[in-house]
Amino acid sequence: MTITKSGSGQNLTLALEGRLDTTTAPELDNELKASLDGVTSLVLDLEKLDYMSSAGLRVLLSAQKRMAKQGGMKVIHVNEIIMEIFDVTGFVDILTIE
Amino acid sequence: MKNVSCHEEGGTLTIALNGHVDSANAAAVEEEISGFRATHPAQTIVVDCEKLDYISSAGLRIILRLKKAVADTRLVNVSAEVYEIFDMTGFTEMMEIQKAYRVISVEGCEVIGQGANGKVYRIDRDTIVKVYLNPDALPEIHRERELARTAFVLGVPTAIPYDVVRIEGGGYGSVFELLNAVSFAKLLIRGEKTVDEVAKMSVDLLKLIHSTVVKPETMPDMKAVALDWADFLADYLPEEQYRKLHALVAAVPEDNHMMHGDYHIKNVMLQNGESLLIDMDTLCHGHPVFELASMFNAYVGYSDTDHSIVQSFLGISWETAAEFWNKSLRLYLDGADEAAVKAVEEKAMIVGYTRIMRRSIRRNGLNTEAGRREIENCKQKLAELLSRVDALTF
Repeated sequence: MTITKSGSGQNLTLALEGRLDTTTAPELDNELKASLDGVTSLVLDLEKLDYMSSAGLRVLLSAQKRMAKQGGMKVIHVNEIIMEIFDVTGFVDILTIE
Repeated sequence: MKNVSCHEEGGTLTIALNGHVDSANAAAVEEEISGFRATHPAQTIVVDCEKLDYISSAGLRIILRLKKAVADTRLVNVSAEVYEIFDMTGFTEMMEIQKAYRVISVEGCEVIGQGANGKVYRIDRDTIVKVYLNPDALPEIHRERELARTAFVLGVPTAIPYDVVRIEGGGYGSVFELLNAVSFAKLLIRGEKTVDEVAKMSVDLLKLIHSTVVKPETMPDMKAVALDWADFLADYLPEEQYRKLHALVAAVPEDNHMMHGDYHIKNVMLQNGESLLIDMDTLCHGHPVFELASMFNAYVGYSDTDHSIVQSFLGISWETAAEFWNKSLRLYLDGADEAAVKAVEEKAMIVGYTRIMRRSIRRNGLNTEAGRREIENCKQKLAELLSRVDALTF
């Protein structure tokens, strides 16, 4: 998985590419832990994400919980495969998807 | 070919639509339905769309009028193509429309597990399907899936439950994410981790589960279940003991924290250093004493009169199981002193032996020697414990 960072100051965008699964989820978790201080708007761009496992969803869930306290988080460019995963897991009701 | 057939049973009218329903035949379809309804009044209408290939606006208006006439009208077995029509036209927001189950084949798939209820197959790189042997398992499949989904969304680490599917050749299955994980039991058996390490991981996850607040209506209340166990013993315990047992359980306050309900080392897996819970069908909510009771039973209680039971159940020796339980309890209680630990254990044992005694009696235990020994053991333990324990809470 490749994580591309952009944005500045309080705005952070992470574009994810590849597979967010049990092997790569810790990478995203570490990236978030290192970058979220002072961020009030987090955007995750999932356009090029091919797969997300439960480990990936759990990272999203904890990011969501943290961002709810310090601002907000939204998920953009969700493709069909990932949308299906959000759909069956009930994550559509929790995340802000644009 | 006829485009509609109706039948009625117990106040439910089932209307099966077939092929294309469009302006060419809508009038005839509606006439057929109206004629049938005139002689068969119904409170519920189920429109079965299994064989429906296409529906035009003329057909949609029939559905609309049915929904207006009978509020409890729903559509089932809707194919993906037809579902899209209902979705685009806003029908999916107006009424209950159930998609047809995806049909998959497990022929040639690797079997990766086999339990009492069915087989588990690997269907591709990321998913498995749990196929149930019982053809009537559908409500149970949905129940387990809903519980797993509720827990997952609340942040409890578990495999993602995907959809429910129909299996080619018969039966239903539940599709789950494939975990590349090893059970805590295996870690112990293979000696990859010590009792201390596994107990620590197991208790850490247990505390996470117990700190999760649930909407009580989404899962069973363990206190109500435990009251049933206690009341079952009304005819088998001395009256005074039964009364005390009932009062003890009844006095446990309502508690909206999640419990697993069957928490032991075969139901927790390790994947890349992360603990994951499986077998979510026993999820419930309640006071932790009930969870500790079921853990006590898994490691100690069920094997009390026959130490070989835990070996065949969990694959570890009676001594290791007892050590595991003792360490888990102490970790769970976070450095409480010995007297406090013992007191909590006795509270859990009351619920535990109540459950075992009921189970044994219901399994014809009174008529077998092993059963009578187990029941007698429960009776003795309960007599002793009930004489000195005055509350189940801690």
